[in-house]
Amino acid sequence: MDKVKIGIPRSIHYYYYGDLWISFFKYLNCDVIISPKTNRDIMNCGIRLATDEMCLSMKNLLGHIDYLQDKCDYILIPRIDNYGISNQTCTNFLAIYDIVHNLFSTPILSYNIDVVHHQTEKQGMIQIGEQLGFSKKQSKIAYLEACNCVWKNKKLAIEKNIQKLKSIKSKVLLVGHPYNLYDEMIGNPIISFLKKMDVEIIYSNLFYSEMTNQASKQLSNELYWKFNKENIGSIPFVQNQIDGIIFLSTFPCGPDSLVNELVMRKIKLPYLNLILDDMDGMVGFETRLESFIDIIQERKRKHV
Amino acid sequence: MKPCYLGIDIGSISTKGVIIDQDHKIIRSLYLWTEGNPIDAVKRLLKGLKSDLPKCYEIKGIGTTGSARKLIGLMVDANIVKNEITAHAIGTLSYYPDVHTILEIGGQDSKIILIDHGIIADYSMNTLCAAGTGSFLSSQAKRLGIPIEEFGELALQSKNPVKIAARCTVFAESDLIHKAQLGYEKKDIVAGLCKSIVLNYLNNVGKGKQLKGPIVFQGGVSKNKGVVKYFEEVLGEKIIVDENSHLMGAIGIAILAHNNENGKTYPLNIQDISFQTKGQECSKCSNHCELLKIYRNDELIDSWGSKCGKY
Repeated sequence: MDKVKIGIPRSIHYYYYGDLWISFFKYLNCDVIISPKTNRDIMNCGIRLATDEMCLSMKNLLGHIDYLQDKCDYILIPRIDNYGISNQTCTNFLAIYDIVHNLFSTPILSYNIDVVHHQTEKQGMIQIGEQLGFSKKQSKIAYLEACNCVWKNKKLAIEKNIQKLKSIKSKVLLVGHPYNLYDEMIGNPIISFLKKMDVEIIYSNLFYSEMTNQASKQLSNELYWKFNKENIGSIPFVQNQIDGIIFLSTFPCGPDSLVNELVMRKIKLPYLNLILDDMDGMVGFETRLESFIDIIQERKRKHV
Repeated sequence: MKPCYLGIDIGSISTKGVIIDQDHKIIRSLYLWTEGNPIDAVKRLLKGLKSDLPKCYEIKGIGTTGSARKLIGLMVDANIVKNEITAHAIGTLSYYPDVHTILEIGGQDSKIILIDHGIIADYSMNTLCAAGTGSFLSSQAKRLGIPIEEFGELALQSKNPVKIAARCTVFAESDLIHKAQLGYEKKDIVAGLCKSIVLNYLNNVGKGKQLKGPIVFQGGVSKNKGVVKYFEEVLGEKIIVDENSHLMGAIGIAILAHNNENGKTYPLNIQDISFQTKGQECSKCSNHCELLKIYRNDELIDSWGSKCGKY
């Protein structure tokens, strides 16, 4: 019998769980296919499939799933509701499963994360292992092995991110969801432009999430979106060591439009708010980024 | 020969050029419409500026700013190409050293620049979707059959400006049409429009910013007296509009060109050189990048827009 082939869209969840999933399935000896880096075709296809009210990142995800739909046996889409009280996700994370189910005919491999109702990531992963015909024990070992391996890499990445704070270059904290920051068509053009301008970029997602989650309370006590809390929670850690903050979000992200606006009013550093939509012309962003870097470099010169 | 410096600010609606001397005094200036063709506009600009430049001056530096700065920078071989925020701030600071807030409304972009002790402390710009304040005003003026130059004067005559949605220009336009059809007087509609521009700008660009005096207002829209009046009314501060308010970006970039002088002399004979751009969709991968190839005298000198860097 052929090995089962699992499709993983290189979009939203991939940037939180991609490594975990890949090592999990590798341990269980399943084939994995990951959609390529976002390109114009994928993005356009997603935009065509989506309703116009969805955020750009969701549209992008649909494009990735479309790419995978006839290339694998299952597409992996978890349904994430919350990670405990006051640690909810955007409603889209809850809706994705149903949207995909209605749009595509490829079978979906799914699990719930709803910690308030005692459904955890661990249970979910074991459950999909069982669904694929492995024993509970095998699935559990695969999950624990995967966690172990991911954790080591994550720790290295975090240390590297924190090391960058010692750099003598102008340092900018890039605040945004990892699925936007690292996407080839969304965040990557911004990151390459900043690197070309010789700016050291510190990423908001590469911190210990328990710490950033807690630290977000210094900015606001009332937020209940886990991912947003962790994004902005990086600010209190580094604000005395960086020169500016760039907020990056996709149009029309609900949680970002509330949380980022709220934070902007409380921070003392120069900041730039970039809201991305499907636009090909980079001139608008280049003007904004270039002026922003001018400002932080000028300030730095005056203060030294 | 006395050195002088040329600053070119190529905006979406208008193209501005100034030539300044070593003390940053304006020798010549010119303002014309871009008409969707920045290359041609700059050729006309240079021709105009060159024709009446006193013979005792030679150009020792050229700077470009504005949304077409990169293209024109390449075309005129500028010694500095800088974004319009920095250029505007430097231009304004040379006239008003203690300015705190610069309001700028152009054809496509609008911005607020905050200055602290002579350096830019912060700025904000319209989000991409709310663009088009200046061009919106001129298209509405055309629709109402009023020359844009008289728009502000007419607004000042109104005692009772109509309320117009300030959220975005699409809503504003439909509101405007309804009010006109209901029979409101033209001057009241025009005044309402000026007021909605101010409110829209402060809501969108000025959100969360502290606007302290002295406040300088520039960009093409600053010539509209109606908008100036409502800014003063809403902000409760005196608004300074310089007679050269439309040239501040060009002046700023000319000053930067002076600071970056590299010994080269520019003969300003660009209008004789053929300069062409060709747009083309690349079909080498699934990104379908829109490539722009730039030719000088039929020779390919640069190409932009490629994401992978193959071109």
